[in-house]
Amino acid sequence: MAPNDDFSVSRRDFFKSAGVGGLATGLLSQVELRAQTGVREVGPGAVQIQLTLNGQRHTLSVEPRVTLLDAVRTRLNMTGVKRVCDRGTCGACTMMLDGRTVYACSILAIEAQGKAIRTVESLGTEAAPHPVQEAFCEHDALMCGFCTPGFVMATTALLERTPTPTPDEARHALDGNICRCGTYKKVLEAALATKGVRRG
Amino acid sequence: MASWPTSPNLIGKPTRRIDGPLKSQGRAKYAYDIVRPGMLYGSVLRSPHPHARVVAIDLAEAQRAPGVRAAIPVVDLSNPEPLTHKVLFQGQEVAAVAADTEEQAIDAVRMIAIQYEVLPHLATVEQGLRPEAPRVFPDGNVREANVLEEGTVDAALASAAHVVEGFYSTQVVTHTSLETHGLVCEWDGDNVTAFCSTQAVHSMRDGLARGLEIPQANIRVICEYMGGGFGSKLGTDNTDIICAKLAKQAGRPVKLMLDRKEEHLATGNRPSAYARVKAGLDAGGKIAVWDCETWGTGGAGSGAGFPLPYNVYEIPNRRRRHKDVYINAGPQRAMRAPGHPQGCFITETVIDELADRARLDPLELRLRNLPAAAPDLMWIAYFPMGAEKIGWSRRHPFGDPTPGPIKRGLGCAANRWGGGGSRRTQGQCEIFPDGGVIMRIGTQDIGTGTRTLVKIVTAETFGLPLDAVTAEIGDTRYPFAPGSGGSVTVGSVTPTVRVTCENALAALAEKVAPALGVEPANVTASNGRVHAKDDPSKGMSWKDACKQLGTASITVDGQWEQGLSSVGTSGVQFADVEVDIETGVTRVRKIVCVQDCGLIMDRLTAESQCYGGITMGIGFAMFEHRLLDRVTGQMVNPNMEFYGLPGLSDMPEIDVTLIDQPERGVVGLGEPPTISTAAAIANAVSNAIGARIRHLPVTPDNVLTALEQQRAGGTL
Repeated sequence: MAPNDDFSVSRRDFFKSAGVGGLATGLLSQVELRAQTGVREVGPGAVQIQLTLNGQRHTLSVEPRVTLLDAVRTRLNMTGVKRVCDRGTCGACTMMLDGRTVYACSILAIEAQGKAIRTVESLGTEAAPHPVQEAFCEHDALMCGFCTPGFVMATTALLERTPTPTPDEARHALDGNICRCGTYKKVLEAALATKGVRRG
Repeated sequence: MASWPTSPNLIGKPTRRIDGPLKSQGRAKYAYDIVRPGMLYGSVLRSPHPHARVVAIDLAEAQRAPGVRAAIPVVDLSNPEPLTHKVLFQGQEVAAVAADTEEQAIDAVRMIAIQYEVLPHLATVEQGLRPEAPRVFPDGNVREANVLEEGTVDAALASAAHVVEGFYSTQVVTHTSLETHGLVCEWDGDNVTAFCSTQAVHSMRDGLARGLEIPQANIRVICEYMGGGFGSKLGTDNTDIICAKLAKQAGRPVKLMLDRKEEHLATGNRPSAYARVKAGLDAGGKIAVWDCETWGTGGAGSGAGFPLPYNVYEIPNRRRRHKDVYINAGPQRAMRAPGHPQGCFITETVIDELADRARLDPLELRLRNLPAAAPDLMWIAYFPMGAEKIGWSRRHPFGDPTPGPIKRGLGCAANRWGGGGSRRTQGQCEIFPDGGVIMRIGTQDIGTGTRTLVKIVTAETFGLPLDAVTAEIGDTRYPFAPGSGGSVTVGSVTPTVRVTCENALAALAEKVAPALGVEPANVTASNGRVHAKDDPSKGMSWKDACKQLGTASITVDGQWEQGLSSVGTSGVQFADVEVDIETGVTRVRKIVCVQDCGLIMDRLTAESQCYGGITMGIGFAMFEHRLLDRVTGQMVNPNMEFYGLPGLSDMPEIDVTLIDQPERGVVGLGEPPTISTAAAIANAVSNAIGARIRHLPVTPDNVLTALEQQRAGGTL
């Protein structure tokens, strides 16, 4: 299988194929169906995919059902972003896909091909932390730290778009992330105090 | 006798969390993040039924599934005791597998064939209390406690000037730690290393030793970072034993992390609390009497204790009958200030009702009934401070008279907690010839900042900057420290670190004193120097002093000592809310918190404990509820979207005032700030809408129901 193949399935394609399938059961073969809808079937076994993660290309072999989060965490062993709710509620797995924040637990790895994926590991280094990370430490916007990488990603995405957000804009942008220790107040302080985030 | 410094350099200042960079950069490795060579993934088959007997377990197909390396039954059908074949709640462990990938493990679990004999279950306390209910638990569904009585309750009720009577309840909530329970187990012959998400490395080791029937010496438990526990991670779980057994059978390391649904079902919760209360006020505005019947459920075979009346106000005559009701739901565990938020909510609600009945300001009623101020009983001083900050003087009586649907109100409540320290705590300090220092103590940082505090006290004692010392924690190879529960960590750990470092400094002084030409007892360390106490000019740099050690480092032990910590905190909280009486939607505008905690170690992390406790209190007050379907006994919201945790946009303005009591030494702060938030909010909502909120959470339907009842005849 060519590594550059794009397996992405849009919602529209999905509905189209599902609709045809429902109507045409028993009339068209799988092959004919695929030819008519233009949707290629992959899996259920492992397929080779390429992900562009933090500017680096990675080739990996995953079953199509593997989420972007699990591919990054368990196949590439980049564990900065966390798995918490695993169904698009808590934001602990927040990554950026072509500059937009996404819940990586709710995207399949095969769908993320051809997109620029950024994880928390792309922000700053040990010696030179990202301004958002610096602000989180200064304002004690973290306790157990399990939600922190997700919040750092969401905050960074906000500030790359809107360098000086109003408190309401920041609240709105960070409302998709959940913290159980109760760092919200400090997270908001940190987000509003961060200076020097460049447009991503 | 060790003591705290009178003019510290680091203690009490705002110090950044030392693991902040690692955590915010995603480099901190939690149990969930640990990867070992050849590691497999474990998955557990759990009972879908709230009550059933396991008749047969067939692992054959699962064992043949792709990637599967181990499969074990958890319910042991060879056990001659038939009771052990039963599952008592949805989510109880039945069997488990380990496979090369997590997806394969989940697939294989689906292939395990279990035969259940489904048994009748109890999903609610109402079902459990019915006399005709099926007897689900061997010793009965209800455990009745002895009647507790002080004074003369009936006479006091008969002579009271005002009596209120009501029914109150709080819901079951789950800990919902962001990192689920779990671990990685790796065997090396007869020895096992467990990387755990735990609040207690040492008791995890002891629990693993019991469960696996191997010596404690063969087990090492490591917890560098953990993603929250709130009381649910103090012990050893079935799944910890399961993980070790899978790893043993497979001969490979196994990671077993629970998913979100398992976490809600099987890793503990805060029990519900129900109370019928009759309370009376005498003509002088003194609370004369409290009579209550209480019950609650802690799930399958677990109690639902909570203090009532909450032990803040002086009430001479009191009586209580309590019942624990067992239902087929996951058993309770300690949850941040066990029992206190429930007892506080009910008590403080009744106090407000008494005040409204007697047409007294609820604050005034509280002040009349509080004990005299003492270092651990400071409410009489804190209530006026909080009142000032929230603007209590603008409070209207019961029901906001302002026209329009948006009503505002104020409420308040008090809290207390014990804390203290464990005298069993030990530490070890090593000073190296090149000046390096390692402080080792077998505690763990559950997000409260313990690692940072260890470093602060070590650096403070040696007069060194923070980054000149290393704190090593989270490993059973380090000296014993207790589990991080009950707000005892700071009171156990920081005194022990202080004593240990003072011992180490004394040992260093023995080596350095001759070079300084003074007695060892006259040697101290400050500002990066080791010098004579009475003549700071007689000294040398820390590094030069350590060179006197030659080639061997010194390793010195220490043990917790009395006198550096105290037991007992007190605090008050106030809430300012607005409620839309057409929709029932409540918004908390502001919380004021006045809280003491003895000698503050790190002002930044201490404040964060207050913000955190209040945030969790808002969740308990407004949103969280473990909902069981009363017909099927299934939890209907075992996830994060329908369970309902507060988010950033639910946060009010929070005003925290920490009261310094340096003379008392350290006192734990993890639990007290979460106790009175819900009570203050509920009282504020009642004050806003002019109808009494007697049940948590304060959801729109609870608000509208309270208004409806008020219209239908009044609840006052």
